[in-house]
Amino acid sequence: MSRALDPFVIMAYRQFRRFLRTKARVVTSILNPIIWIAFFGLGWANAFNFPMAKAIFGGVDYLTFLTPGVTAMAVFTASFIGGVTVIWDKQFGFLKEVLVAPASRTGIILGRIFGDAVIAVLQGLAIMALSFAIAHNLNPYGVLPALAYAFILALGFTSAGVTLALKMTSMEGFQMVISLLMMPLIFLSGAFYPIKFMPDWMKWVAYINPLTYAVDGMRHYLSGVSTFNPLTDLAVLCVITAAFMALASKLFEKATID
Amino acid sequence: MTEYAVVAEGLVKKFGSITAVAGVSFKVRYGEIFGFLGPNGAGKTTTIHMLATLLKPTAGDAWVAGHHIVKESDAVRRSIGVVFQDPSLDSELTAYENMYIHGKIYGMSGEELRYRIEEMLRFVELYEHRNRLVKYFSGGMRRRLEIARALLHKPKVLFLDEPTLGLDPQTRAHIWEYIRRLRDEGGVTIFLTTHYMDEAEELCDRLAIIDHGKIIAEGTPNQLKRLVGSDVIYLKVRAVNGAPNPCDALSAPPVMECKPLREGMIALKVSDATQAIPVILEKAASMGLKVAEVSYRKPTLNDVFLYLTGREIREEEGSEADFLKHVIRVRRFRRR
Ligand SMILES: Nc1ncnc2c1ncn2[C@@H]1O[C@H](COP(=O)(O)OP(=O)(O)O)[C@@H](O)[C@H]1O
Ligand SMILES: [Mg+2]
Repeated sequence: MSRALDPFVIMAYRQFRRFLRTKARVVTSILNPIIWIAFFGLGWANAFNFPMAKAIFGGVDYLTFLTPGVTAMAVFTASFIGGVTVIWDKQFGFLKEVLVAPASRTGIILGRIFGDAVIAVLQGLAIMALSFAIAHNLNPYGVLPALAYAFILALGFTSAGVTLALKMTSMEGFQMVISLLMMPLIFLSGAFYPIKFMPDWMKWVAYINPLTYAVDGMRHYLSGVSTFNPLTDLAVLCVITAAFMALASKLFEKATID
Repeated sequence: MTEYAVVAEGLVKKFGSITAVAGVSFKVRYGEIFGFLGPNGAGKTTTIHMLATLLKPTAGDAWVAGHHIVKESDAVRRSIGVVFQDPSLDSELTAYENMYIHGKIYGMSGEELRYRIEEMLRFVELYEHRNRLVKYFSGGMRRRLEIARALLHKPKVLFLDEPTLGLDPQTRAHIWEYIRRLRDEGGVTIFLTTHYMDEAEELCDRLAIIDHGKIIAEGTPNQLKRLVGSDVIYLKVRAVNGAPNPCDALSAPPVMECKPLREGMIALKVSDATQAIPVILEKAASMGLKVAEVSYRKPTLNDVFLYLTGREIREEEGSEADFLKHVIRVRRFRRR
């Protein structure tokens, strides 16, 4: 039994080890959200510092509204981009070493997804800590449920990144698709402004955007405001994550070298 | 089937319209070093990938360690170790971590795994470097680590795809030494590919010469060289109007066989070149043939290839390009 889990555990371990050695990845993935919180958040927080403003954000101040969204964004970005390690493994040959092994392919790919998802959540945790330092109305009891939502989000988008990377051959191609998708998904998730003020067509995009439900769920627990029922958020996230994980496993199961 | 480590029957691999492997059949005995010798693009790597279960054959069958490569791919994977032509290490990890992860993926653990990692790292003389990141390793060190890693789980059959590609002569000799020791001490069956004549000659108990996806000759290095004769004389004959076809004119004792090559070159198989050359030159002169160049040598595997295909293996080999490709890869590794 423990043997069957070995490939899962060792691949998660490997992703960790590698991540800690590639300092550039740590820095860039944490720096971006910090910039958003500091420059975007603090700037608008002052602009929205009038009595009516809280009504716009469901009754909380802007920083309290924004920080859970940026945390979700940080987790989303880190996990989606994490797929790039699959491209590296293709280019630098390590993928062949894994493909020729007699181990369970599903164990291997899920281990790696798990490892990268934990890494992404830890980055989210760093942003969350910063949020508590800046925004004073966040609910500390919301941290654990918010992290749970973040973890499901991370599993889902790591799987999506891995799926994409398995389909792609070049680093450039992967980065292009990722950056093409990333910005719209972030802006149309309600992380920066409430969905209810979006034009109708944007609302529809927001509704089909998985990130929306992570932002909303995390905001529910951390700030106390939300658009949907948090259980709805959870259900949608779980379904989407399960789908992406299944897709990544299936693709990896059939992977050959070419 | 059981006395053979590898049996291939009519293996074919097509990539779209390209036929990389055009039906190869061969058998490798347990405990021997069997080589595929052929120029770049001959289909060596593709064959290894099929035997290692990474590519599905378009047609044909093969068994490795008694297991069918498609129907029993998991059993095949458990029985083999593979050193790929291109690097396959995780360069962000240390040598030890690369070994450890490999062991875990192959279901090893605990004391057994630690002991075996040390044993194999010592075997390739990398134990002192076990805690260094692989990205700081030289090409030769990486290759040795890959060999150690491929042996970690005690495979019955070891596949080595161009094990010394792009390495300096000293490192190559070193790696040859390991490979011979594996056969002599460990009883591991080794299937290797190479486009280096000297490597095939040095290492292989038996080999198959492969060209354009087909095996064109098979045997021990000595058997193959006997195809060419004990000596081979090369004559360059200048084209003169009215002169007879050189091979027609000269195909009589002491010449055992004559083969036209490119650009007026012919290869003559004789038993003793020093005695045959004067006779041949005299005969050529009397027949009105203008001989521009003469040379002779003890046949090498290169002569065998030349004899069989009319081309030199070196003309086609991309050794320069391969080497550069390798260097560029290694550099890319380092930059990260
Ligand atoms: N994935 C692939 N797609 C298309 N053609 C390929 C592929 N892999 C190999 N080939 C072609 O198949 C032939 C044999 O290649 P390969 O097996 O790598 O030869 P070798 O290892 O002997 O140099 C070459 O012509 C090569 O270009
Ligand atoms: Mg090759």
